[in-house]
Amino acid sequence: MNEFLTKIANILEENAVKETDELKAFAQWDSLAVLSVIAMLDANCGVNLRAADFEQVTTVGDLWNLVQSRKCS
Amino acid sequence: MNFTFRRKRISGILTIVPANERSFIEEMKNFNFPESRSLKLKEVMGYDKHRLVEPGVCVSDLAVFGLEHLFKNGLLHRDEIDALILVTQSPDHFMPPTSNVIQGRLGLKHDMFCMDIGQGCAGFVIGLMQAFLLLEQESIQKVVLINADVLSRKTSPKDRNSYPLVGDAASITVVERDAEDLVIHANLKMDGARNEALMIPAGGFRMPSTPATAVLEDVGDNNLRAKDHLRMDGSAVFNFVQVEVPPMIESLLAFAGVSMDAVDYFLCHQPNRFMLQKLADKMKVPYAKMPMNVVEHFGNSSGVTIPMAITFNLATRLKNGHLQVCLSGFGVGLAWSSMLMRLGKLSFCEMIDYP
Repeated sequence: MNEFLTKIANILEENAVKETDELKAFAQWDSLAVLSVIAMLDANCGVNLRAADFEQVTTVGDLWNLVQSRKCS
Repeated sequence: MNFTFRRKRISGILTIVPANERSFIEEMKNFNFPESRSLKLKEVMGYDKHRLVEPGVCVSDLAVFGLEHLFKNGLLHRDEIDALILVTQSPDHFMPPTSNVIQGRLGLKHDMFCMDIGQGCAGFVIGLMQAFLLLEQESIQKVVLINADVLSRKTSPKDRNSYPLVGDAASITVVERDAEDLVIHANLKMDGARNEALMIPAGGFRMPSTPATAVLEDVGDNNLRAKDHLRMDGSAVFNFVQVEVPPMIESLLAFAGVSMDAVDYFLCHQPNRFMLQKLADKMKVPYAKMPMNVVEHFGNSSGVTIPMAITFNLATRLKNGHLQVCLSGFGVGLAWSSMLMRLGKLSFCEMIDYP
């Protein structure tokens, strides 16, 4: 989880992010950030998300939960 | 599906790029987007310069210019072309075929097989397969494969999903029989269920162009685009490439019984630097073996990007010697295809400006 938070923070160019943070609240959250997150999750977690998957995601914690659920299935 | 071809070779490659060069820095003023974010996009995706045709320039103009260059320099003779294959998504007209237009403009002989193939990013590999098949006929000694697209003419300058990366270009590849009996391995998959990931919705018979299809619409993220324009679902395409391409190439190498290390270069279609880096990472291929510098210099010109990666990066080596190369094209269709072959001793391997 900590590594995940650090990687998200790097993409968003923030010092740190918390589970409860809303993705859309970050200035750097745009289509390029979405693509960077998709690439990061593919490389680090073996999970392939699509941009449409992000519609059900509000917070950083939601994203973590989505990734965990995809890993199991 | 897998394919093998024997006794076939590429004997020369020429790419033709429009002289008109545009820069991302100039064009980002058209985007409704903070400048700092545009610069970030440039850095991550590797956008910088790209080559675009002047208004009115068509695929046959680039092709005729390139072939005239080869005739003039004695690199190809007018009467030795037995087949002319044109792979394009931007034909001069719906009818007649643009390959016939090119044949006519050059005054080529009538004993000739002209054929248009409507493929894009996978179109270099698909065109080579078709060229090899034609060479099975005794009457066909030399095939000219032309890949050409002028898709900037169908791309909205206010759409930063597509405009910064689009490029126009043509390539001419001469394919003939090889005296040496080497095997060329290839494979191909298609998925038409995902055909909407890359498309120009209007302008064909399904949705003819009207004043309404020319209206710019806000399609999210402050990007403006009309139905007459090229539309790319960037994240779906990215996902497609990461999921489908590495297993395709692994399967090709297994089919050929060749190890990853035995391949000198992985010459992939060039969507952007970001996607190619992620592809190389996933396949554990060193960046030095996978050229990814085409988009930043010329833009993504659909089926022309593999010949461009070759003429831009490997011209001297391929004129003097041989390399074991794995070609791979993927995109519109969706279609994805790869080919393992020995490439080299080319009689020409160069790039010229149009005009």
